[in-house]
Amino acid sequence: MPTLDELKNLLTDDTKDLRLNLGNVLDSGDLEPQERYAIALCSAIFLGEKELASALIAQAGETLSAEAISDAKGAAAIMGMNTVFYRFRHMIGKESYGQRPAGLRMSRMARPAVSKKLFEMCSMACAVLAGCEMCIRAHEASLLHEEVTEDRVHQVVRIAAVVQGFVVAVNAAAV
Amino acid sequence: MLTVGQKFPSFSAKACVGSDDKSLTTVSNDKPTGRWTVYFFYPKDFTFICPTELVEFNRRLKDFNDRDCDVVGGSTDNEYSHLAWCKSHADLKDLKYPLIGAQKLAFDLGIVDPAENVCLRSTFLVDPLGVIQWSASYPLSVGRSVDEVLRVLDAVQSDELCPCNWKKGEATIKAA
Repeated sequence: MPTLDELKNLLTDDTKDLRLNLGNVLDSGDLEPQERYAIALCSAIFLGEKELASALIAQAGETLSAEAISDAKGAAAIMGMNTVFYRFRHMIGKESYGQRPAGLRMSRMARPAVSKKLFEMCSMACAVLAGCEMCIRAHEASLLHEEVTEDRVHQVVRIAAVVQGFVVAVNAAAV
Repeated sequence: MLTVGQKFPSFSAKACVGSDDKSLTTVSNDKPTGRWTVYFFYPKDFTFICPTELVEFNRRLKDFNDRDCDVVGGSTDNEYSHLAWCKSHADLKDLKYPLIGAQKLAFDLGIVDPAENVCLRSTFLVDPLGVIQWSASYPLSVGRSVDEVLRVLDAVQSDELCPCNWKKGEATIKAA
């Protein structure tokens, strides 16, 4: 598995904005370092990028607790399901579907290992990556309810956006 | 008989787990474990329908554990009777969940058949807070479906917890 630096070095001049952005969002901002890495990790897992996810865990070292890694994985998996399922409900907009029980287990959401706040930050990243308007609105409201400021919500979204751009850039380098 | 929404009675009961003499133990619900529990009761040790149910719960134990749920079986027989039965019956030698002597508990739950003075085939699904989320009793002659117990467990555990399930007029999702 390549290290994060090795992945970054794959990027050419055409895509080096993403290399610099990834460094910036991981290393600065007023989210806690563990939050920044967990959000990036969750985004990479959500996008199916195993190499980047492993590289982020290695790069984070002790910054990411085992519990935070666990929450990132849990949130990515649940949101992998929910962004499909609820996006259908949101897009179709029929009350009749909304009244049917989902019948889907999502108990991990009720038992975050680190905190509800971190789990919601990870979920927010997945919601923006999935591009579902109502999921985004709902998770933003949930984060504000957890007393996360709009400025920090904004930083969560920046991390998710940069991870997706970085993935595209790594793939572009292979073409 | 106690039912949905009621507190499962507190109890402490002697039990055996499998067919080893050393497995004799005490099972109680005095400390919260953060897990679900399915309690199932059967009429008598050394009868015919009972072992198939006990064996099926054992075979599907991992399915319950995957759902953060423990399994406890019991009847009005005592722990020594349970142990002797497990030792004498090849299919019951490797039970991995406890069988409790549930004389008092059965009366507290209201599941004692008045004519036979033994437990009905009753099943209780109890949430981590000790509240009954499902209960059902079958006549003595009807065996249970473990699939049905798992189906109910899945259903009661499948809350729509995601803020994605946002509906107009709900300002925030309540904390789980």
